[in-house]
Amino acid sequence: MMSRKVFKEAFVCSLPVMMGYLSMGAAFGILLTANTGLNPLWSLLMSLTILSGSLQFAAVDMIAGSLSLLEIGILTLFINFRYSMYGLSLIRRFREAGPRRWYLIFALTDETYALLLKDRPGAGPGDSDNFMLTLAALNHSYWVVGCVTGSIAGKLLQFNTRGIDFSMTALFLVILTDQCREIRNRIPALIGGAATLLCRVLFGPDNMLIPAMALILIGVLAFRRKLDPPEAERGGDRR
Amino acid sequence: MNRTLFVFLAIMVMAVVTYLIRLFPFLVFGRSEKPPEMVLYIGRVISPAAIAMLVIYCVKQVNVTAFPFGVPELIASAVVVLLHSWKGNPLLSILAGTAVYMLLVQKLFV
Repeated sequence: MMSRKVFKEAFVCSLPVMMGYLSMGAAFGILLTANTGLNPLWSLLMSLTILSGSLQFAAVDMIAGSLSLLEIGILTLFINFRYSMYGLSLIRRFREAGPRRWYLIFALTDETYALLLKDRPGAGPGDSDNFMLTLAALNHSYWVVGCVTGSIAGKLLQFNTRGIDFSMTALFLVILTDQCREIRNRIPALIGGAATLLCRVLFGPDNMLIPAMALILIGVLAFRRKLDPPEAERGGDRR
Repeated sequence: MNRTLFVFLAIMVMAVVTYLIRLFPFLVFGRSEKPPEMVLYIGRVISPAAIAMLVIYCVKQVNVTAFPFGVPELIASAVVVLLHSWKGNPLLSILAGTAVYMLLVQKLFV
């Protein structure tokens, strides 16, 4: 039985994510409608089952475009690989959550992960599972509501939407700008950008992604010595 | 394959692969086992590289040899990066950049 106190704590904790998910979800929904014409039920399905902002934005293009299902799978692996790192620090906590962990694992977004890492002063013993579950479900619901609302709004909007797909570029630029505040992310970002640009020139817009991903992997492995100094020099960087 | 079926299957592929990625450490690494250094390293560096890839991918249709030479993309991108470095508000940066871009391609570079 969940106490009101735990629900209230999780709700307050989730408020910043609520703002972000409702607005970014709405932006996704509007873009999905403008670019593909798919109805809001598709937006509902995607937000319920994928629950990944950057992938869903990229999916708008993948769905409309020329990629095969295999390429979509490889691209998904590449874009979302970071999620597998999040789980590493949560293995013990989630194991204690019993069967609920299967949902907690599914709902592990960037934002939910960040909130789960925060300290909870005054938390009672044994309510940790309820707190995590409530927080994850609240964040998931904000995302679904945002995406569907955006899709419905996209159907109703009657203005010239030419150029609205730049919101996808803008989203990735925002994420990249945030990442590049940390110096250790700058060379990987540079490798990613340069490799993709090269593959765009060599292979053209429709066949650039698979070679780009291969080249990026080769690139980051080639720079491993420089980017991955021995344990002692890295300091408090590890999760 | 008809389009509806393709879209459905594409969404399922993305959903299942994403879940498997999230599941991976829980299935593979137990309480004490440490993942290989190589996996940890790729996990640390792949995210900025993938996002940079997506930025370039988003502007893949730009032709720098013909009007408008990618100038609207360049201006709008600069607006996003500068505004975001300054204010750090994701929604503001995205809305402002998109509005500038729409204005440029609809009114100025026609």
